[in-house]
Amino acid sequence: MVAACGRSDSGVSGGIPASIRYPDHVAAGGNQPPAVEVKNPIPSDSTVVADGGKIFSAMNCDGCHGGGATGWVGPSLVDGRWRYGGTDGALFQSIFYGRPRGMPAYGGILSPGAIWKIVSYIRAQPVPVTVPTESFK
Amino acid sequence: MPAKDYAATRYSRLAQITTRNAARLRPVWSFSTGVLGGHEGQPLVVGSTMYVVTPFPDVLYAFDLTRRGYPLKWKYRPDVNPTALGLACCDAINRGAVYADGKIIYNLLDGHTVAVDAVSGGELWKTQIADMGQGETTPMAPFVAGNRVIVGPSGGEFGIYGWVKGLDVATGKILWTAHNMGPDSLMLARPGRGRYRGDANIGVSTWEGDSWRRGGAPVWGWISYDPQLDLIYFGTGNPGPYNTEQRPGENKWTNSVLARRPRDGTLVWAYQFTPHDSWDFDSNAEMILADLVVGGRMRKVLVHFDKNGFAYTLDRVTGELLVAEPCANVTWAKGINKRTGMPIVDTTKTTGASRGNVQGICPSLEGGKSPASPAAYSPRTGLFYTATNNLCMNFEAAPVTHIAGTPYIGATTPYVIGPGGHGGEFIAWDAARGRKVWGIKEKFPVWSGSVVTAGDVVFFGTLDGWFKAADAKTGRELWKFKVGSGVVGAPISFRGPNGKQYIAVYAGIGGDWFLLSGDVRSDDPADVRPPADFAKDLAQHTSQGGIVWIFGL
Repeated sequence: MVAACGRSDSGVSGGIPASIRYPDHVAAGGNQPPAVEVKNPIPSDSTVVADGGKIFSAMNCDGCHGGGATGWVGPSLVDGRWRYGGTDGALFQSIFYGRPRGMPAYGGILSPGAIWKIVSYIRAQPVPVTVPTESFK
Repeated sequence: MPAKDYAATRYSRLAQITTRNAARLRPVWSFSTGVLGGHEGQPLVVGSTMYVVTPFPDVLYAFDLTRRGYPLKWKYRPDVNPTALGLACCDAINRGAVYADGKIIYNLLDGHTVAVDAVSGGELWKTQIADMGQGETTPMAPFVAGNRVIVGPSGGEFGIYGWVKGLDVATGKILWTAHNMGPDSLMLARPGRGRYRGDANIGVSTWEGDSWRRGGAPVWGWISYDPQLDLIYFGTGNPGPYNTEQRPGENKWTNSVLARRPRDGTLVWAYQFTPHDSWDFDSNAEMILADLVVGGRMRKVLVHFDKNGFAYTLDRVTGELLVAEPCANVTWAKGINKRTGMPIVDTTKTTGASRGNVQGICPSLEGGKSPASPAAYSPRTGLFYTATNNLCMNFEAAPVTHIAGTPYIGATTPYVIGPGGHGGEFIAWDAARGRKVWGIKEKFPVWSGSVVTAGDVVFFGTLDGWFKAADAKTGRELWKFKVGSGVVGAPISFRGPNGKQYIAVYAGIGGDWFLLSGDVRSDDPADVRPPADFAKDLAQHTSQGGIVWIFGL
């Protein structure tokens, strides 16, 4: 377990209500996130991206989104396409609050700092150029 | 019954369709279910009504077979929590319904069992059986033995504490819960009494610490029942996590067959196919009951095609192992010791976080045969008919943290096509001798169930969307039809109200193929996935769909 994965501090931070924090398990999401656009406070660099990749794996994100985040039960995160927006702030809210259809609310067990590192990791993944067209022989 | 009868034979006594006339089969009806998930399981015909359960959102359709065009009598659209979509390991499938006491009984993906009036479609009861907070979902087909509905959860990839439950058919009330590991009191096991020969608390002593509490052993496959012996038989799934080093020990009773009393759940005997599973070899495949001459003696047997690539024939009275031979390409074990019942493991194929990337394991964790594709047994030919996969894998395990409600896996397992270059084979199996009698090789893995009839015709489908009929004695292909999407369901045969024999099957690729071959999906512009490395051109032949087909002469 990487250090950043400890329980988040109690109380309100960045407009995030404590009510969605679950002590024992990650509850599936669906809470409407606040309309505010949250900004990534951590400048992305290779260390942050590497840390984010470790957290992505340690928090079992790859169990649903696949190794390399190419899609498994959950959608691909490396195809350049987004259901709920691909900005840093939108990704943060998806991870923190969860989304309907199965994305858990990791705000219950991850600190905002750790979530920002995951955001940086996802944003750093290259998008294949061949996404729209697949040709067969 | 989901598998036709208590014995799970998927054998139809109808004989109008024969090896001579099967070439004249034609589609007589089709219906789009309006759902794109993997269409596993099978339609259920009761009297003159055909019932169809869709993948999530688990709609139940009732078709009137007495009227032209088979219009709906009703449809039941339950309120299913979409959170389940993030907890079902391998697509939001459903394996079908069971009929009992005027009720259609089936599971919703979100951990509920419902009973619906078979005539009116009205909901009679709804019981929460599983906890999604722990990663449990419920796509399996319930089974009814006597006045008990038997159900179990999925969640072998979520670190659940696996169980089966017995519900009252009349009310849906949970009457007993039996865990598959843990203390004897929770397994409903009584060592030394009856035929149960497990050591006291073997469900704890074969695990390290309390790892059994999150050790998996889901029950997502099929159940059978011997009314004379009053035993139900079902398989349990993999231990969690995949990283073996987090759960030293044999991990009983994961990857096992368990025989229980349906009335109170008492564990009567158990046999473990793959102790201390290193490869995700779930044993959820059906246990087909038959009476066979084995070694010159008539035996009451149970036949099981395991994911580990071996086909097993056991005495279903005692659990004694009679026959165990490979029905697919196997490298992880050199064989099964008949005396001890233990596999002779090739330890170079044992996996674990400290063992790095272990290469060349056959079969892959899709199974030499997938439990999702149930076999059939014909008492006329004495043969068993099953889909098989010819896939191998590398397996790189890693430590993983248990966070309830999130995946608990800890391995990367890419596949390759096995020796011979064919992805799969549909085979006929002699379970008394443990040998293949004939086979039909397919380009892609074969993931369909099968039905065999008294006309000696056996039916199965392919991932690239063909539905086929073959001569049950010889394996000669008699007929095929392109059904619009890959087949991962199981065909049935039924007699219509007009007295004619029909064959029904779902088209609708999905299940693991939703994950592996992500480019068969085109339903979400925000989710565009690459093809499977080992089957790059599957999407050239099929994409998702959901169609019920009926064929007749």
